[in-house]
Amino acid sequence: MADYQPVRTKVKSGKPKKRFMSEERKDALAAYLYISPFFIIFSVFSIFPIFFSFYLGLQRWNGLGSMEYVGLRNFRLIYEDPMFWKSIYNTFVIALMGTLPQLFVAFLLAFALNSTLIKFKNFFRISFFMPNVTSIVAVAIVFGTLFTNSETGLVNLVLSYFNISPINWGTNEWGLKVAIASMVFWRWVGYNTIIYLAGMQSIPNELYEAAKIDGANLRQQITYITLPLLKPVIIFTVFVSTIGSLQLFTEPLVFLGRTMREEGITMVLYLYREAFVNNAFGTASAAAITLFFIIIVFTTINLLIANRLGNSK
Amino acid sequence: MFSKKASILYVVLVFMLVLAACSSNGSNSENAGETDDSNDNQSAENIELTMWTFGSPGYDKFLEEYKEVNPNVTIRIQSADLADHHNNLFTAISAGSGAPDITMIEAGYIDQYREAQEMFVNLYDLGAEEIKGDYLDWTWSNAESADGDFLFGVPTDIGPTVMYYRTDVFEEAGLPTDPDEVHALIQTWDDFRKVAKEVTEKTGKPMTDNVNLIYYSLRDQSPETYFDRDNNLIINDSPYIKNAYDYATQLIEDGVVGRIEMWSPEWGTAMNDGSFATLLAPSWMQNVITGNAPEAAGKWSITHLPEGAGNWGGSYLGVPSQTKHAEEAYAFISWLLSPENQLKSFKQEGLFPSTPAIYDDPAFTEHTDEYFSGVKTAKIYSEAAQQVQIAYTGPGYAIANSEIGTALANVNNENRDPEKEWEEAVKRIERQLERR
Repeated sequence: MADYQPVRTKVKSGKPKKRFMSEERKDALAAYLYISPFFIIFSVFSIFPIFFSFYLGLQRWNGLGSMEYVGLRNFRLIYEDPMFWKSIYNTFVIALMGTLPQLFVAFLLAFALNSTLIKFKNFFRISFFMPNVTSIVAVAIVFGTLFTNSETGLVNLVLSYFNISPINWGTNEWGLKVAIASMVFWRWVGYNTIIYLAGMQSIPNELYEAAKIDGANLRQQITYITLPLLKPVIIFTVFVSTIGSLQLFTEPLVFLGRTMREEGITMVLYLYREAFVNNAFGTASAAAITLFFIIIVFTTINLLIANRLGNSK
Repeated sequence: MFSKKASILYVVLVFMLVLAACSSNGSNSENAGETDDSNDNQSAENIELTMWTFGSPGYDKFLEEYKEVNPNVTIRIQSADLADHHNNLFTAISAGSGAPDITMIEAGYIDQYREAQEMFVNLYDLGAEEIKGDYLDWTWSNAESADGDFLFGVPTDIGPTVMYYRTDVFEEAGLPTDPDEVHALIQTWDDFRKVAKEVTEKTGKPMTDNVNLIYYSLRDQSPETYFDRDNNLIINDSPYIKNAYDYATQLIEDGVVGRIEMWSPEWGTAMNDGSFATLLAPSWMQNVITGNAPEAAGKWSITHLPEGAGNWGGSYLGVPSQTKHAEEAYAFISWLLSPENQLKSFKQEGLFPSTPAIYDDPAFTEHTDEYFSGVKTAKIYSEAAQQVQIAYTGPGYAIANSEIGTALANVNNENRDPEKEWEEAVKRIERQLERR
């Protein structure tokens, strides 16, 4: 066996190949081969479609015929479409309605679970997390039955006990948003609880004890000990929730059915409808590109805030 | 981690699997291509055709028989559910490979392909003109291009619309329950409106489950719908769709239209309990009714719609142009959909045939259903089928339908102004059509 040498000198006998496969290069080649299966699949199914999407945003195509270059016309068409702006509005409203109360409740639940007063902590942890592992489609169907339009639907029935007239959850502007937001809430509150719980458990107990000795009540303990020390975790959950809710798709799709009404349409649902129901792939790609830039903006804002808060420590 | 030999073996195995997965698509057509002698029609080589279907048309039961007709042709049927099937078909045709030799296309999905007719084989080139007379003209015309020179597919089954009604609700309202008497009572849509008001006044129940079926019934009786044969949007000039819309919204204002979502669990329960009086629906809805409402046997009956009939559903068998065996594919299609075989499909699966010649067959005229109060169901459907008119749909049909549906739902559920909703819907349709 040859010695391990990174050879750079040329061999005069004219057999460069032997030297090419030095040990270093063999290791490198092996490494590339190991990652190649994933990378090949990733580039075919992810990278290529992303670039193709940018290309498609400038074309007019109905999926079957030939493509026609139209420049920025697709963008103009969707920006003039009130439905597009409605879908952005809907996405933000549902995102806020779904995530803000959820993070708040998750925080409270985590705090409660963290305390020593509750027995069977594991049982609660598991049961709170369970909604997250259910199938989204099944959840949407069940919630569709709960939030049905007729007076005998479960939610309408409960409302009638409070003397509120039945709401048309399927078509009402706010009714629809409440129904979809509640699905998001139900699914993710457990996930965020577990994350907050993990964060809280890393806070040493001595801090709380010291505060109690100093006479701090519960609210003060939360405000001055838990919240500041939980800041990175809170930032992370806000970050993930934002990105996730900007891409809200399955819940509105199954809940609204094929109608895809404007009261509940979200950005991703809008572009899905453009592409696969209306067969207008050019404008759908334009919507996708716009969504891409919106998410970049939000990610940047989140990162700046996180950095600023991180530096201030 | 791994020894050198093991890691090389691993990488080779992965590449083998990748190659095997990639090549499975090509192998069938390659084999068939090799064995197909282009100058020999009756080649002794074996030809395999793939056929894509959805739902349960029961065509696999015909394969044995076809082996005797054409022994060197084998057919492989792949089945999927309605939405998946059409997604797969669209993708395969758009991608240019992977499409089957024969495909089923539902009537609602055939419009997608109108602008890309070169993706299909023109069945007129294969001799479809000869069998044209066997089929109902309106369903045949739906599978033709606008100028009538191109045929996408041969019709399989159809869904002529009739009026299903609850005999107990009609009785409660003091109305006749015998199908002929009901039909005599409700001869026009104005009669329907009068009867609707009576029913709601005397029984407190809405005349229909929702507004969609009323609109569909009137729309399907119109000679033209949203587009003319040059694919221009005529919704602002043509009176028929506006009439249908106005009639439907009038009934909503009369308070005779229910708000039960179609296909929801409440809809099924309402069928069972008799919470609404009539269901204006196609022939295949009878399976839905009997399935959803087992306890309502004997309380439903069937008669004709006022002023003619419409059609909802039905499919076609077409041949994508990617096929290498167009003639054999067409031979199978024309055999499978001949009147005799459609009669068999009706007896076995209940598929309502598109060939009027067999409507006089005793299996048809004498078929009764106890669930529907002993009515001769097939006879009624066949009479309805012969009343349907030809109307051109056009490539934007689904878009236009969807927007009008939204407008109707807004008027029904949210009490919005019908005229305003109409204008908004038309604007949305125009905007959407610009983009394709």
